[in-house]
Amino acid sequence: MAAGVAAALAYPWLVPNYYLVYAGVLTVMYAVTATSWNILGGFTGYVSLGHSAFFGLGAYGTGLLVTRAGWPWPLALAVSAVLVTLGAAIVGVAAVRVRGASFVIVSIALVSVMNLLVQGWRSLTGGSSGVQVPAPFPELSRGQTHMVFFYLYLALLALALLTWWFIGRSRFGNGLRAIREDEDKAEMLGVPTAAYKVAAFALSALFVTLAGGLYAVWFRSLDPIFLFSIVLGAYMVLMSLLGGGRHLLGPLLGALIIAPAGEYFLIALGESQIHLTATGVLLVLVVLFMPEGIIPKLVRRPAGASIREETAEQRLLEVRG
Amino acid sequence: MTLLLQGLALGVLTGGLYALLASGLSLYFGVMRVVMVAHPAFLFLGAYLTYTLHTAFGLDPLLTIPFTVPVFFVLGVAVQRLLIARLPSDQIQMMSVLLTFGLALTVEGLLGTIYTGSFKSVTVGYDTKSLHIGGVSLPYDKIIAFGIAALTLIVLFTVLVKSRFGRSLRATVQHREAARLVGIKTERVTGYGFGIGLATAAVGGGVLALITPFFPASHWAWIGKLMAIIVVGGLGSVAGAALAAVLLGVVEGLVLVTYDATWATLMFYVFLFLTLLLRPQGFFGGRLAHRF
Repeated sequence: MAAGVAAALAYPWLVPNYYLVYAGVLTVMYAVTATSWNILGGFTGYVSLGHSAFFGLGAYGTGLLVTRAGWPWPLALAVSAVLVTLGAAIVGVAAVRVRGASFVIVSIALVSVMNLLVQGWRSLTGGSSGVQVPAPFPELSRGQTHMVFFYLYLALLALALLTWWFIGRSRFGNGLRAIREDEDKAEMLGVPTAAYKVAAFALSALFVTLAGGLYAVWFRSLDPIFLFSIVLGAYMVLMSLLGGGRHLLGPLLGALIIAPAGEYFLIALGESQIHLTATGVLLVLVVLFMPEGIIPKLVRRPAGASIREETAEQRLLEVRG
Repeated sequence: MTLLLQGLALGVLTGGLYALLASGLSLYFGVMRVVMVAHPAFLFLGAYLTYTLHTAFGLDPLLTIPFTVPVFFVLGVAVQRLLIARLPSDQIQMMSVLLTFGLALTVEGLLGTIYTGSFKSVTVGYDTKSLHIGGVSLPYDKIIAFGIAALTLIVLFTVLVKSRFGRSLRATVQHREAARLVGIKTERVTGYGFGIGLATAAVGGGVLALITPFFPASHWAWIGKLMAIIVVGGLGSVAGAALAAVLLGVVEGLVLVTYDATWATLMFYVFLFLTLLLRPQGFFGGRLAHRF
């Protein structure tokens, strides 16, 4: 644990060039979004393919407040994070009313609606040509800016992980897990399921929004087609599932595998579309053969249904032999 | 007034294609409670196959359909038997969305690699002319598209209602265990259901290639529209999906001619959210939806 933290802190000073720092920022950014997605997906089992909507809104909110209103970026980031999270809570009230396939459909619809609105509202958002954000630290070189944002994202990741950890140990977290196992029974037992789901939805949107806001200031060029794509949301799902959605560090592990692999594909194969196929095949394989992720395979706890199929009495008989 | 009629006519014509594709989605959901996100990706795979057959052998796009349909049927059965049937049944709804999403990415990536990301289109003699009736102009290619979609739907409905196979498929949709009790091989029927569902994408692909240019990423725009249609129609109801498709096609057409394209597409989502708020089981059937 401590070695991992030390390695993460030292990473920008150990790598030979700024490109690898850039790749590091990207990886930590994906880790933040996946960990944040997992606050909803891991605890409650509600699979959202639409979290890129919050990433995009965070980016556009921050970017537009900086360029149009001339606000300093930290203020713009904070204000847009608050607004988008409030918005997410309102959307959440409607979205978590439906379960299963309908919820996934709603989450896909959310991204598509945002994409259409942002591209359609040209006078505010610049349409499909996007937004250009001024440099946050004009006195720093591009490489040094990458280093600053590496630590900013690392701090955000720590915050997201801590939040997940606290929720996991709280009554709130137990309620969310109960929703995952059997929502109707949880409700019957007095878990305020609707309020809990909305809270998880909004919290999970919060860190994705913050990651998106930082992206606007760091990357500085906002492309609506990338920001509001279902593929971006699918990356969060893939990273969480691959690492292990029920574990604190699962999404981080997934991000450490997927993000560098994606960058490698980009370098090795250029702008070819084959990386989509690689992502798709990997997603199919994970869903089919490893839906619990890598971590459970490593810690070797018996996988399978979390509800025991035999009664306590039967198990007692086995023990007695 | 002419403008409204024009929008109405174009809406109905486009709605036919929506109805055909949405009926495929309803079949998947009916037989296995699977939301097949990859359906539009396969639609565009069909369009590209039509394009290849057209450019390589000079086949008319409509004549390529008899070739692509059997291929897609086998592909659909294979997807169900080899992939979706392996998912744990208690998580099938969420997991199948992810699985088919992976398939969609796989298909899109392959299309982008093989055909490049640029627009492709199929042009034949009759596809640029229009029929004029009292100020309303109807492009011939759209009329043909509607005709083919309607014909396919009629055949599909007839098979579902009249044939022995159709009865066993409907029985499997209604109650799998009961269907098994009366001797229906539900596993096999489910596989065929998927095959037929994917075959609608093959027909749709041939028609689509005729009426519009396409590129590999175009399938994203279709996912949301088709999802909205099957929710409004009621998940799992083939007739409901067809009705909702024509309704939403008309709304889209009307908004398109009177306002703008962004809002025309947004109407699908407006209807989706209204349906989920007011009547989550859908407006035209959807006995299945409340079983979530």
